Amino acid sequence: MNRSRAAVTLALRREPRRLVRLGLWSVLEAGPAFLIGHAVARAIEDGFAVAEPAIGLGWLAALGVTWLLGAVAARQVVLAVAAIAEPFRDDLLGHVVEGAVRDGPAVRRDSAAIARAGLQVELARDAFAAVVTTVRGFVFTVVSVVLGLLTLAPQTLVLVLPPFVAGLALFLTSLPALARRQRAFLVADERLAEAMTDVAGGLRDIEACGLHERVAGRLEGQVREQAGAARALARVTAARTAALAVGGWLPVILVLAGTPWLLNGGVGAGVIVGTLAYVTQSLAPALGGLVQGLGVSGVRLAASLGRILSSAPPDRPDRPRIRPPTSEVRLDAVTFAYGPRSAPVLDRLDLLIPEGDHLAVVGPSGAGKSTLAALVSGMLRPGEGEVLVGGVPAEQVDPAARVLIPQEAYVFRGTLLENLAYLRDAPRADLDAAVEAVGCAALVAELGGYDARLDPAALSAGQRQLIALVRAYLTSAPLIILDEATCHLDPAAEARAEDAFARRGGTLIVVAHRLTSALRARRILLMDGAQLTIGTHDELVRGAPLYADLAGHWHPEPVS
Amino acid sequence: MRAGDRLVMGAVRRNGPWPAVLAVTAVVGSVAELAVPYLVGRTVDAFVSRQPGGTPWLALSACAVAAVMLCESLGVWARGASGAHAAASLRSGLLRHLLGTGHTATRRFPEGELVTRAGLNAEEVGRAPDTVTSALALLVPTAGALVALTLIAPVLTLTLGAGIVLILLVLRAFLRATTVIAGGYQEVQGEIAARLVDAMDGARTIAAAGTAGQEARRVLAPLPRLRAHGMNLWRANASAAVQSGLVVPLLEVAVLIVGGFMLAAGDLTIGELYAAARYAVLGASLSTALGHLGGLARARAAAARVAEVLDLTPVPHGTRALPAGPGTVEFRDVTANGLTVGDLTLPGGSVTAVVGRSGAGKSLLAALTGRLADPERGTVLLDGVPLAELSRAELRRAIGYAFERPVLVGATIGEAVGDDPEAAAEAACADTFIRRLPLGYGTPLDEAPMSGGERQRIGLARAFAQGERLLVLDDATSSLDTVTERQVSRALTTDHRGRTRLIAAHRLTTAAHADQVVWLEDGRVRGRGPHHELWRDPAYRAVFQGDTP
Repeated sequence: MNRSRAAVTLALRREPRRLVRLGLWSVLEAGPAFLIGHAVARAIEDGFAVAEPAIGLGWLAALGVTWLLGAVAARQVVLAVAAIAEPFRDDLLGHVVEGAVRDGPAVRRDSAAIARAGLQVELARDAFAAVVTTVRGFVFTVVSVVLGLLTLAPQTLVLVLPPFVAGLALFLTSLPALARRQRAFLVADERLAEAMTDVAGGLRDIEACGLHERVAGRLEGQVREQAGAARALARVTAARTAALAVGGWLPVILVLAGTPWLLNGGVGAGVIVGTLAYVTQSLAPALGGLVQGLGVSGVRLAASLGRILSSAPPDRPDRPRIRPPTSEVRLDAVTFAYGPRSAPVLDRLDLLIPEGDHLAVVGPSGAGKSTLAALVSGMLRPGEGEVLVGGVPAEQVDPAARVLIPQEAYVFRGTLLENLAYLRDAPRADLDAAVEAVGCAALVAELGGYDARLDPAALSAGQRQLIALVRAYLTSAPLIILDEATCHLDPAAEARAEDAFARRGGTLIVVAHRLTSALRARRILLMDGAQLTIGTHDELVRGAPLYADLAGHWHPEPVS
Repeated sequence: MRAGDRLVMGAVRRNGPWPAVLAVTAVVGSVAELAVPYLVGRTVDAFVSRQPGGTPWLALSACAVAAVMLCESLGVWARGASGAHAAASLRSGLLRHLLGTGHTATRRFPEGELVTRAGLNAEEVGRAPDTVTSALALLVPTAGALVALTLIAPVLTLTLGAGIVLILLVLRAFLRATTVIAGGYQEVQGEIAARLVDAMDGARTIAAAGTAGQEARRVLAPLPRLRAHGMNLWRANASAAVQSGLVVPLLEVAVLIVGGFMLAAGDLTIGELYAAARYAVLGASLSTALGHLGGLARARAAAARVAEVLDLTPVPHGTRALPAGPGTVEFRDVTANGLTVGDLTLPGGSVTAVVGRSGAGKSLLAALTGRLADPERGTVLLDGVPLAELSRAELRRAIGYAFERPVLVGATIGEAVGDDPEAAAEAACADTFIRRLPLGYGTPLDEAPMSGGERQRIGLARAFAQGERLLVLDDATSSLDTVTERQVSRALTTDHRGRTRLIAAHRLTTAAHADQVVWLEDGRVRGRGPHHELWRDPAYRAVFQGDTP
C-alpha cells in the first residue's frame, strides 16, 4: 500500500511544471461551470424577460464561447494528464521487467503470467489517468459553482451545499466498503479465470485421470464465489448510487422548496433557474464523475498497483565483485536445501577442484548437479559451509571471472554478433577463432553471417546451444561451468565443443547429460542421492556399481 | 429461433424475480426522469406567479425525484445481482458440459477460446436482461424528451435533431480512428512482451552473468515508441471527447436562445424554458441509448458462441463394472481416424512397446487403448468388457495414463499425484526431488518450479498411483536424462503389481525390454513381435536412427 502511494506521489511530483500546466488549463475548463448560472439568470432577467432579447443573446453567446474555450482546455487537460500518466506507465513497466529479469531462475514464470503483468500495467495507467482527471475535475467544478452561487445569490448556498456535502460524505464513508468489495470481486474473478484456464488446458488429463467430479466441484465453488462477490459488489454499488442521488438531486428539491423564500428576499425567477442550472449542469455531473473516478478507477488503481509492486523483490545492494587470483574451486562442508522443511540437496559436501581441472558431474536428475553448478557460480548461497573460488566466496566473485552456460541456452532478438559478443566485446579475429573452435562456423554461414537478425523461436535448441557455447568460449573467464549445455547437440558436435573447451585452458566443470561427456573428462564426480564418488573413469567402473552399470549400459544404444 | 437466442431467453427466464424488478425500475425510473423537468418547470412558474398551486407541484416534483433516486439505486442492485446469477448458472452448466465432453473440446476450440467463452461470453449473456432494460431505460426518456420538447415548441426539436446527427457522426469518426492507432500501440507492447519472454527463458544465463540491469534496458528499449503511440492515442481520445462533449452544451445554448426569444415574445414561461433546456440535454443522450442496443447485439453474439460449446456431444459412458482379471486388452478390427489397428491383444501383465516415426499413429493407439478416443469401427475390450460399456469411474480407476507433457491438476504436488503419493513417486523416481521442494509433497503446484523431466516424473507417478490394471505411457519419459530414464524403465518393466503396460516411445531400450513391439507406419501396423526378431529388418532399425536420444 505504501509502495503504491509512493509510486503515485512520485509520478505526480516528478515534474511540477506539468501540474501547474494542468491546473491552469483546468481553470479555463471550469469556466462554463462558473458562468452557466450567471448567463442563464442574466439572459432571462436582463434580456428575454424584459424584452431585451439582444442582451439575452449576448449572455448566451458568451456562455457558448466559454464552452468552446472550455472544450479547448479540456483537450489540453487530457494531454496534460497523459503527460503524467505515460511516464507512470513506463515506471510500472520498468518495475515489472526489472523484477522479472532479476527474480531470475528462482521464479520460472510462463509467458501468460507476463502477459497478465502487462495487462495490469495498462489497467493501472488507465485508472491512474481516470482518477487524476475526475478528482481534479471535481475540485475545480465545485469551487467554480460555489464562487458562481456566491456572486449570483449567496443565500442559495444554504439550500445547495448541505445536501451536496451530505451526499459527498455518504459516498466517502461507503468508499472503503466499496473498495473492499471491488477488490474481492477482482480477486474472485481472476481466480475463476485462472481455474478455467487450467481446466481448459488440462481437459485431456482430467479425463484420463477421472478427475471430473473433483474438478467440477471445485470449479462450481469458484463460480459461486465469484457470483457472490459480484452480488456483494452490486449491493454496495447501489448504496453508492443512493449517495450520488442524495448529493445531486436533493439540492434541486431544496432550491424549489426555498423558492418562495428566495423570491421574497428579492431574488428573481431567472436567478432561480440559474441556480438550478448550476446544480443540474455542473454539480451533479461532477459528483457523478468523482463517484466513478474514485469508486471504480481508484479501487482498480489500488488493486493493480498492489499486485504490480508486490511482485518485485526489494532491490539488493550491489555485490562486491572480486576477481579471484586462481580458478581453484573448493567446497567446505556445504549443505543446501531449497526450503526450511525440505530435504537437503547437498549435505556436508567437501570437494576440491584444482585449477585447470576438467571435471564431469554425472548422476540421475534431481541428484543436485544443477544445484552444485549454481552454488559454484554464486547464484545460490550455501545454507552451511563455504563455496570458494580462488579463495573468494562464490557469490562475491566477479561475474567476468566465471561463466555458467545452462541447458536452456539464451538467445535474444538481435543480431548474431550481439548474441555472440554478449559477455565480451571481442575483436573479429577472436570471434572467428571461437566460432571455428566450437564448431559453429556452418551455423554462422547458414544464418547469413554475423549481422543476421535472429529470431530465437526460429532456431533449434541445438543451434541456440551452439551460440551460447561460442559466447562462453569468447570470454576471458578462467572458470567455465557447462550445465548440460550441449544436451541438444548430436554426439559428434558435442564432442567437438567439449574438446574445444578442454583445450581452451582454465578450470572446466561439465554437468553431463550423456555419459560420453564423462569419458572426455579428467575426473568424474558421481552424484547419487547422499552418495558422492569422485575419481577417473577406470576407478569409478571398478568402485561404483551404479557407474559401472551405466557405463556398461551405454554402449548398446547406437544413437547416443 | 437461434440456439443463442434461446440461451438468452433461458437466462432471462431462469433468473427469478430479477428481470421483473429490472423492468419495473427501468420503466418507473424513466417515466419519473421524464416527468421531473416538466414538474420542476411548473413548480417554478407557480411560485413565480404566486399561484396557490405551487406546493402541490413541489410535492409532485419531490415524489418524481424520489422515484428516480429509488429506481436508480434499486436498478443498479438488480442489474448486478441478476447478471451475477445468470452468468453463474450458465457458466456452471457450460463447465460441467465441457468436462463431460473431455478433450474433444480442445480439438474443436483452442484453449484460450474455451476460457473466453466460459468467462467473458457467459458474463455477456448474463448481462442480457440488464442490457435490454438499460436500453429501455435510456430510450424511454430520450424519446420522451423529444416528444416533450416538440410539445413545448417544434422548432426546438428541429434544433436538437440537427445536433444529434452531428454527435453520431463524430462518434463514428472517433471509433474508426482509434482502432488503427491502438494497433500500433499493441504491436510495441507485444514486442516488449516477446523480449521479456526471451529474457525469462535465459534467466539462469542472466543471473550467472550478472547482466540483469543490461537485460532490463534491452527489454525496455522500445519504450519511447510505446510512449509515442500512447500519446497519439490520447490525442485522438482528447479530440473526440472534446468534439462530442461540445455538442450537448452547444445544443443546449441553441435551445435556450430559441426559447429565450419565445419567452420574450410571451410564447413560453420561464419554467417551460427551464424544462426545454433539460429536455434538450436528455434528448441528446440518444446516441448513448443506441450504444446499449449495440450491447444487446453483443450479448446475442456471445450467446451464439456459448451455444456452440454446448453443442459438443459429451462422451457417453456405460454402467458396467469389470470382472476380476489380469488386465488383458483386446483390439477387435479397430479403425480410427486414419489408423488401422485390426486385431491386437495385450496379454494381462505384459509390456507392449509402440514404436514408429512421428505421425505414425502412436499417440492415437495409446488414446484408443484407454478410451481417450473412440474407434470409428471395431471395439476395444478390457478383460472382456468393451470400454464403452464401462462406467466412467470404473474405466478411470482401471487405467492410468502418463503423457509427454502432463498437465498437473490439484492444489499441491501430493494432490496432483493422487492417493498414497510417496510410493508412486518413488517408482517414478520423483520422490527425491519432491522431498527437496520447499514444502515437500505439500508444495503448492504454482510455487514449484519444475523442469520438463520433473513434470514428466510427476505425471508418471500419477499414472502409477491411479491405474489398477493397465498403464498407458504416451512418450512419457522423453525429457528424462539417460540415467533417470533407465531407473524409471526398470520400475516399469518390473512393476510389482503386474499391471499391463503399453508404452509409446522413441527409445531403443524401451523396445528392447518389452515383451512385444507394435511397429506402426503411416497409420497401419507394419510389424509385430519381439524386438530382437523385428531388429533383423533394416526398415525397423531405421525407425530408431532418426531420433535424437
